[in-house]
Amino acid sequence: MGETRAETDAEGSSNADATGLGATVRDEAGASERRLLPWWLAFSARRERRLEQTGSDPDPRFTFANERTFLAWNRTALALIAAGLAAAQFLNFNLHGLRLIIAVPLIVLGAALALASYLHWEDSERAMRLRQPLRYSWMPRVLTGGITMIAVCGGILAMVDRLAH
Amino acid sequence: MNRPQSQSTGGTVTPPPNTDDPGLARERTALAWTRSALTMAASGVLIARAAFVGNLPVLGVVSAVAMAILSALTWRNGRAIYRERREPRMPKLPQTAAFGLLTVTTVLIAAAAIVVTVAI
Repeated sequence: MGETRAETDAEGSSNADATGLGATVRDEAGASERRLLPWWLAFSARRERRLEQTGSDPDPRFTFANERTFLAWNRTALALIAAGLAAAQFLNFNLHGLRLIIAVPLIVLGAALALASYLHWEDSERAMRLRQPLRYSWMPRVLTGGITMIAVCGGILAMVDRLAH
Repeated sequence: MNRPQSQSTGGTVTPPPNTDDPGLARERTALAWTRSALTMAASGVLIARAAFVGNLPVLGVVSAVAMAILSALTWRNGRAIYRERREPRMPKLPQTAAFGLLTVTTVLIAAAAIVVTVAI
């Protein structure tokens, strides 16, 4: 797989491969990122090689499905962060600090899901390469529990805030 | 439809040539990438606005620029996959680099969001 990949890269197709990704960022970034970016690319290339050496390539369609799942979770994480920012700006409790009880957990939940989605992608990819069954993710449970808890907190806070004034 | 499971009995099996695969999985994936790019651009606007409201203009500009760059890269990734949607082979993009970058940036944006939230 690595050989065919190198060959097709050499043909000079115009997609965002490792060098293309680096070139774009380097144009816009400062001097400190000049060292950070090669390090990042080398680090992720090592991780990718380790993954490629595990088992054998799955059907590309399954890999793409795994990729879409990762992206969907990442979007969910971004939506949670955006919701937290919105709560911080637009919630209007009489006690100004109360909105943090809604906003901060939303943002933390988003960060946790972003991290977990990457780990889950790698885990699923490894399982598919080894022809092993996929492990269920705990992310849906965390998302459901988190949103439920934040909603209940929001309801209680709204009542307490109203009663206190 | 092909049943890839039945063909993957050997040790080092390359993916079967899916002659009946019209590239819909790749097209869906490309659309997912462009959707992610749009979400990122929108999140960038949101966090920049919040940072300016919270009197943190530097953080606002930095987050907006970071999200703009990431959004552009994400968009490019989507277009690259779309162009190759009819080729029945493994994606050749550096996935771990792209996914890791996405994850790290999302976590950093969350950290910035918490700072902004406290500052407002």
